[in-house]
Amino acid sequence: MTRRRACEVLVGVLPIALILGLWHGLATSGMAPPSLLPAPRAVFSRLVEQFANPAYLQHAAITLFRLFAGFAIAVGIGVTGGVVATGSAAFGALLRPVVRVLAPVPKVALYPALILVLGFEHASKIALVAADAVFPILLATYQGTSAVEPKLVWSALAAGASRRNALFNVVLPAALPSVLTGCRIGLVISCIVVFLAEMITSTNGLGHLLIYAARSFETVDMFVPLITISLLGLVLNASFNALQRWLLLGFPQEASR
Amino acid sequence: MSVRLSAIPGLPPLLACFGLLALWEMAARVAGIAGLPPAHAALSELPAILSDPEALLNILHSIRRMSIGFVLALAIAVPLGLAMGRSRIVAAFFNPLLMMIYPVPKAALMPIIMLWLGIGDAPKTLVIFLGVSLPIIYHAYQGARAVEEKILWSAAAMGMTPRWQLLRIVLPAALPEIFVGVRTGLVLALITMVTSEMIARQAGVGNILFNSLDMAQYDAVYATILIIAALGFGLDLAIERLRSWLLAWAEPVYQIAVGTA
Repeated sequence: MTRRRACEVLVGVLPIALILGLWHGLATSGMAPPSLLPAPRAVFSRLVEQFANPAYLQHAAITLFRLFAGFAIAVGIGVTGGVVATGSAAFGALLRPVVRVLAPVPKVALYPALILVLGFEHASKIALVAADAVFPILLATYQGTSAVEPKLVWSALAAGASRRNALFNVVLPAALPSVLTGCRIGLVISCIVVFLAEMITSTNGLGHLLIYAARSFETVDMFVPLITISLLGLVLNASFNALQRWLLLGFPQEASR
Repeated sequence: MSVRLSAIPGLPPLLACFGLLALWEMAARVAGIAGLPPAHAALSELPAILSDPEALLNILHSIRRMSIGFVLALAIAVPLGLAMGRSRIVAAFFNPLLMMIYPVPKAALMPIIMLWLGIGDAPKTLVIFLGVSLPIIYHAYQGARAVEEKILWSAAAMGMTPRWQLLRIVLPAALPEIFVGVRTGLVLALITMVTSEMIARQAGVGNILFNSLDMAQYDAVYATILIIAALGFGLDLAIERLRSWLLAWAEPVYQIAVGTA
């Protein structure tokens, strides 16, 4: 079994190694000039160099601040909205068509409007991140809470819990796996949206660094922020997975997929 | 009464639209800033944009790029996802690579791809293709993996070749899952389309949006946003219709969109 597992890992590393090899070959053979495709070694040594550069870390910190602010707002609105929509039939009936209309709208299109209303600074970017991340969280919470076994709620009510108590102490914990799945999707979306917003208009942050490098044809510096944000996405996703496993100890296995 | 009203198909979303527009109108009146014109001003700007041939051409070009990227993604992602679902080796080969590509913001590749392919249609279409492929591969993979083995054994026992098994059993069985991916992919295609045009800024809907913003034609900005929103809702509705027509036999799969721009 472990040998089979090792084989699969080996097979999986193969295409990544192939791509890196091809990249290296193209760059060093001179078929692609360094101004179009810098060598992988140049890109990665620049990446390491930038990680020790306080100015670069400052930009990364600004991006992270916007990401987490937007994500926190999305989690707050999404989880509350989803739980209340399950708890109150009237609110649910009101919310469902609104979500049906707004969910397929590409939220980046709202970005110019957000700039006009909230200005060019943090607020418009945080609002865009929140707008993009809120729908998966809201939908996952709503689906999770409305799928909770009704008998659990009835027992809680029969034991004297108030409706609100039952909603937040019985329904919400029971729906936790679904809520967390929605949050993880929202987190990766936040990561991407914050970068795009900074690319479209910004004077700081990682996305701005990419556009700035593109304007001055610094190809190596174009790859570095892109790799940073992707690494950030991978790390956030992995740490959220770890958090999810810890929170879901004791839940049935397939729930924590 | 309210039960009967909400039973009429299409009525609740329509009411929601009116409600949102009314809310916007009220917010604009209360705020009273130039950056947030009232809803009726944006709506009255709509005919002007939709009758301007240049704007219309821009919108059509955007839709054309999106369709090409989308169809290409469908043609490659569905077979790949099905193959991954049926073969452990193929899955092991592609999974780590896809996991690495997954959190890369695809529209952010625009500046780099523009260096290689110029500023025409090619980079925008390529970026849309990349963005759409991932969710479709993922869902086709999940769908193909969940196919009941016994059905395949029966087919093999009756002498069906592996290729026909893939086409006649695995594909239809995975189709409901694939449609989840297609629906996510569609939203992503729209997002990537608008974003790529906002970054490259020389053609398309995203460009109209930012040109109006630069010229302080705020009514036009909001009217363009309404057009893009209507496009998103309309395409989503079309996919949903197609799904319920093709897959009347399957239970509707309610699933959250797993996807990123």
